[in-house]
Amino acid sequence: MASELLKGFRMLELADEKGSFCGKIFADLGADVIKVEPVGGCSTRRIPPFLEDIPDSDRSLYFIAYQAGKRSVTANLETADGRALVTELARQSDFLVESFPLGYLDSIGLGYDELSRSNQRLIYASITPFGDKGPAKNYKAADIVTWASGGMMYLMGEEGRPPLQMSLPQAGMHAGAEAAVASLIAHYPRQTSGLGQKVVVNMQACIVWTLMNEQAMPIFHGDFLRRTGVFVGSNDTRRKMVFRCSDGHISILIMGGPVGAPSTIALVNWMAEKGFAADWMKAKDWMSWVPGILMAMTQKDREEIDELEDRVEKFFLTMTKQEIYREALKRRILLAPVATVADAAADEQLKARKFFVQVDHQDTLGRSLTFPGAFAKFSATPISPPRRAPRLGEHNREVYSGLLGLGDERLSRLRTEGAI
Amino acid sequence: MAYALEGIKVLDFAWVGVGPITTKYLADNGAEVIRIESAAKLDVLRLGPPWKDAQPGINRSQFYASYNSSKKGITLNLGHPKARELVRRMVPWADIVVESFTPKAMRGWELDYEHLRELKPDLIMLSTCLQGQTGPNALYPGFGQLMAALSGFYHISGYGPGSVCPPYGAYTDFIAPRFSASALLAALDYRRRTGKGQYIDMAQYEAALHNLMPALVDYFATGRVLGPMANASERYAPHGAYRCEDEEGNEQWLALAVANDAEWRAMLEVLGAKASDARFDTHMTRVENREALDSFVSEAVRHRQVQDLVAKLQAAGVSAYRVQNCVDLHQDENLEAFDFWHWLEHKEMGPSPYEGLQHRLSRTPGELRSAAPILGQHNEEVFRGMLGLSSEEIEQLQKENVIF
Repeated sequence: MASELLKGFRMLELADEKGSFCGKIFADLGADVIKVEPVGGCSTRRIPPFLEDIPDSDRSLYFIAYQAGKRSVTANLETADGRALVTELARQSDFLVESFPLGYLDSIGLGYDELSRSNQRLIYASITPFGDKGPAKNYKAADIVTWASGGMMYLMGEEGRPPLQMSLPQAGMHAGAEAAVASLIAHYPRQTSGLGQKVVVNMQACIVWTLMNEQAMPIFHGDFLRRTGVFVGSNDTRRKMVFRCSDGHISILIMGGPVGAPSTIALVNWMAEKGFAADWMKAKDWMSWVPGILMAMTQKDREEIDELEDRVEKFFLTMTKQEIYREALKRRILLAPVATVADAAADEQLKARKFFVQVDHQDTLGRSLTFPGAFAKFSATPISPPRRAPRLGEHNREVYSGLLGLGDERLSRLRTEGAI
Repeated sequence: MAYALEGIKVLDFAWVGVGPITTKYLADNGAEVIRIESAAKLDVLRLGPPWKDAQPGINRSQFYASYNSSKKGITLNLGHPKARELVRRMVPWADIVVESFTPKAMRGWELDYEHLRELKPDLIMLSTCLQGQTGPNALYPGFGQLMAALSGFYHISGYGPGSVCPPYGAYTDFIAPRFSASALLAALDYRRRTGKGQYIDMAQYEAALHNLMPALVDYFATGRVLGPMANASERYAPHGAYRCEDEEGNEQWLALAVANDAEWRAMLEVLGAKASDARFDTHMTRVENREALDSFVSEAVRHRQVQDLVAKLQAAGVSAYRVQNCVDLHQDENLEAFDFWHWLEHKEMGPSPYEGLQHRLSRTPGELRSAAPILGQHNEEVFRGMLGLSSEEIEQLQKENVIF
């Protein structure tokens, strides 16, 4: 049974990869999410890679993952009949999320002003790469471009080499999730006022928000960060945060002071047991050791840090990342393996919490697929595994007949005329 | 005009990133959020840079301030039984309680959901921690940086196999709050319809894995492990960052993504370049010959002005923007037009720069209503106003390190 959290609410989704995650979150929360696709299919059906590398409109891994739990109808927005269907659906919906170029839906009579006239309850979220006001409001932005405009790209990579994106694009995920939060914020007052509203999500701003404490650094500390590879901090105070081990990498930030010292002491003790700690490391007062943070970093500090980092890496190279992680958990050392999806799939914690779930794809792909499960555990309204992602127009009849009351004859005429 | 969430009351025991960022969504939209902190165990972000004038101090951190706008701050030393008694007196006031300690803490204090719901039957309570309330690693200590490594983001960030170039900071701290805020708002609606509250157990780890879902589905189905692949894409070519002419001693890079033949031709025209290489004849062959293509583009843009290129490429329908550093962000005209940056008056820091909201509501817009509180800024207001304590009682509790 689907979660009862948003039971009875309907969302229309007219979004590509900039906004499909919003509909996914709503579907997880129990809303009826209807994805309106062009007759040729949503562009997200063509996002590579494909399951088993077989290109097909039901095999994009992006589509399989993020369109799960939704219904699919087709509507050709270039035709008056197609637009009329969407208008009618919007009249019977509580939420709408879209990610077309700014102003496109307005230009064809499906903007907020138009649709709210026949449904004043409607909450209408537009996801935009650069907001709706600035000089770049009509700019195109592939995911990597938003990653760059929002500042995260500048910080990823090594000095002298190009800035990086992650191998799985992320900007659309942040923007889609932001649209979900914002739409639900707008939902709260609607329950008493009966009035919906327009929501604008700014993707660039969503990425800026991921920069943690960096934004005010230039203002208060007078400089901005550069790309530093596996290090953190500026060149003279840099600290290594990723170390090699026998089968991959470990992330650890070796710190002193009240926050970091207990972990660092535990690490040094472990290294000492195995003969990897220098004498000065065993004698160090780690509690008051905060070079480069609350005090200047001296030449001696720099040399100690370099030696410490060198010894830690040599120590880690004697073990696998899982061996190190397991022992660190016991000793309460603050570190983590640089995990792959294979590591996550095998993780004992996720298994114990029964995180991964099966989603039946027997009728479309002849198999079942394993998905990440609920993003949170709700005591009264648990999130259950989603239905598989829909085939193109799979729910045309169910929605257009069931919801809009169109007869078979009308449906087949719409089909012939290319409206659906 | 009224804010969207006016009337909602929140007791916020959370600290560091995820919990405070979650309640910030509520606070900036009008909910009354009271953060409970203690000098006995400071929120570590109060100790983190950047600090006003680069001078450290528990009330000088913008790191802390950014996540605590629009909130009230009080101090209670929860290790003290009298402090816990005051909490129990406050709980009936709250619609929502949020906490982000390691799982055993609230149970140890008898402030867990089972205890609090006795005081407020329809309470909505969110616990957010790294790995969840149950399971063998529930007590895993750590912070978001490590979670970004553990959940797989570090491994997909790099120039190729063996290269790790992590995202800056605690990346997953900026994924999880959008889930937890959605969860709380949906739970509020459920309570409105049914009268029932509930308990929400959110693991940052599990929420974050939703941002990697296609790669996880792929691995379980076929065993393929997504790894670092620089800026390679199966979808766009060219696709990456290309160095342009430096400006004022700073490197300038152009982020560029070309989706099809039409965009490719438009790009060539803007760059004034001719592609005679047969490997660049079709989109497919361009995707397959990425290295040669990257060299070709790199050469064509190396001595161009990045902003000039962006304007011309976009005018020609090609997706492009400058790779912006943090100074660029503060000067970005689009962020300014969205009214993103705000200078708020902080009690100790004076005017300080805050990131604004990443969305805008047309009818009931939220805003950063006030700067973050200094430690215990609203003790008097809350303990007198809500609990009716006298000044003498407050003073006494301060002496006993209860209000502390």
